[in-house]
Amino acid sequence: MNGKPLILQAVQCPSPRVKASMILMGLGQILSREYIKGLLYLASLAAYVGYLAMIGITDIAGFITLGTVEADPWLGTAGDDSIIMMLRGLLAIVLTVGIVLLYRSNLRDILETEQLGLYGGNALPFPEAVRHFLDRKFYIVALALPVIGVMVFNVIPILFMILISFTNYGGNIIPPKLVDWTGLDSFRRVLSLTGIRETFFRILGWNMIWALASTAVNYFGGLGLALLLNKKCFKFKKFWRMFPIIAYAVPGFITLLAFKFLFSYGGPINYYITQAGSSAIGFLDIDAGLKAKLIGLGVNAWISIPTSMLLATGILSNMNESLYEAASIDGASPWQQFKKITLPFVVFSTTPVLITNFIGNFNNFGIFYFLRGGLYMDGYFLASDTDLLINWLYNLSIDNNYYSIGAAVSLIIFIITSVLSLSVYVRSNAYRKEDTYR
Amino acid sequence: MNWRKRMDWLWSHALLIVICFIFFFPVLWLILASFSATGSIYDLSGFFPKAFSLNGYITLFGDTVMYDYPNWLKNTLFVAVCSSILGTTLVILTAYTISRFQFKARKVLMKSTLVLSMFPGFMTMTAVYLLMVNFNLINQLWALILIYAAGAPMGYLTQKGYFDSISASVFEAARLDGASNFRIFRSIALPLSKPIIVYTALTQFAWPWSDFILPNLLLKNKNLWTVAVGLMHLDETQFTRFAAGSIFIAVPIVILYFALSGFLVSGVTAGAAKE
Repeated sequence: MNGKPLILQAVQCPSPRVKASMILMGLGQILSREYIKGLLYLASLAAYVGYLAMIGITDIAGFITLGTVEADPWLGTAGDDSIIMMLRGLLAIVLTVGIVLLYRSNLRDILETEQLGLYGGNALPFPEAVRHFLDRKFYIVALALPVIGVMVFNVIPILFMILISFTNYGGNIIPPKLVDWTGLDSFRRVLSLTGIRETFFRILGWNMIWALASTAVNYFGGLGLALLLNKKCFKFKKFWRMFPIIAYAVPGFITLLAFKFLFSYGGPINYYITQAGSSAIGFLDIDAGLKAKLIGLGVNAWISIPTSMLLATGILSNMNESLYEAASIDGASPWQQFKKITLPFVVFSTTPVLITNFIGNFNNFGIFYFLRGGLYMDGYFLASDTDLLINWLYNLSIDNNYYSIGAAVSLIIFIITSVLSLSVYVRSNAYRKEDTYR
Repeated sequence: MNWRKRMDWLWSHALLIVICFIFFFPVLWLILASFSATGSIYDLSGFFPKAFSLNGYITLFGDTVMYDYPNWLKNTLFVAVCSSILGTTLVILTAYTISRFQFKARKVLMKSTLVLSMFPGFMTMTAVYLLMVNFNLINQLWALILIYAAGAPMGYLTQKGYFDSISASVFEAARLDGASNFRIFRSIALPLSKPIIVYTALTQFAWPWSDFILPNLLLKNKNLWTVAVGLMHLDETQFTRFAAGSIFIAVPIVILYFALSGFLVSGVTAGAAKE
């Protein structure tokens, strides 16, 4: 098929059958005596029109108004449920997009029939056409389920959250109360309302420091450990490597809960402190401040260094040994060799992973949720000084029902992380050469 | 060995022993605590129990009135096994198709997964939670399975890297012989991709096995708790029970990781170089 837009091709095609399919999806196919295919197209169109007439129009209208009748328990009137209306409207929109795509496939199909001269009974009989389709368009068949799954469980929830961020849903305003579209109000509240604004910027600052520090610690920790294990003086490498791998394999929540017990009042560290005669220290208490942050950093390192060690080991094994030999003949010290050979090579081949790790740490929910979840500090709106944006998001939307503000915060997180990673990613070599690996 | 080398040997070993100790000690502490004769964390003297017994494990499986560990284990296994099977199927299909076929929507799909993966996973979860609440689908194990499995294809890159590395000529030869694409997938691609299937199945199993956010959000009913949710509800006085429960589910997964450590290293590296 040539590069012209589909609709233009259809308009320019003189055949009446193409015109018929343009006006009524499937009609051209029926005129070409491809009855089953044509009827299937027609039936889906009929189903869509029927849906639109029965409930679709109301749903779309409901999507715009988000309900007009509030439930009144005294009068016994069942009001509108804004959120259900929003979802049904969303469904109507998704279905409409679906029918547009189907219409395009109908045009493509009839044009192909026309160009190959298959009309008038020359077309493949339906069962064979199906087999032909399944084979030639294997990728559609194979990807149908994954794509539908991602649509339902990723795309629609994300769209839903984006929509929520433009409403006043949450706080006191949850069904049966009516929710309204409020435009950018939630974003404005996050960025300018006293209390929320300070919390947001404080958390954002700490979140940045945390992501940078923990990524650096984990990355260089893993690289250092891999280099150490690569030294020739170690026998039984497998034995030594076992210990970090155990740490890697223990499920994260167990590690986190165990560390929480380790630093708790009854935990072993405080046991030794009290044995020594001092009073117990609240390592993770509300006023712990820097202590809690450092503990978080350390615990995260404990969890993540093994992974980056495995990664660095794999990459180091691809390195060219002769470079080092040449360098040591030239009299380069080990430190110079590391700086000039190892580091550039490793950093070069791990840029994408570095970005992924940075984003992962930026959104690291588990660490502070387990270590000190549910603490609300003075000067913070429903958060504490170790909470990351993602923890704040949890406090806002799950624990306190501030859905629209939570949705706005999550969109802000998305904007920050995607701008950061895209700007690095697009420049990185790994992206430019995406398909050259074959 | 000269003096310098000997010093180098010494400090390298000292450093490594310290590091390994740091990695191993918390695990050792949990193992010891799981054999403590008494239940509370306050009964231990520092890191070590005062008396050892199998009590922790016996109460873990016997005393199920308050904390029904066998049931949590059953739920976790059910969710992890089902989502591993479903998720692996979806990931392998996606990766194979994206790697092997050139079609119009391919770049679009790859770019949109990239963009989608940049939304905080938590945002999706909050939305899924709200949706489930609105449709009254809270407290369903199968909802959990569907969410895990449906999200799996987003992480297809490692698997795609693997399929990229299989020479295309094998497939083209079969195609010339008239094999259908489905047959090529079933009789050529699948047998060739055993290692990556094992790797995928393991990672798809490990994720629900150790996830706590989603079950904590979606399973409010005590009968449906998974191990992660259950263990989260144990406090300092139930420390031995916690330790025993943790060791009991950590050991199988640690053994699995070791049995498959070869795959793991190559899988982690493949994902890195090919992303």
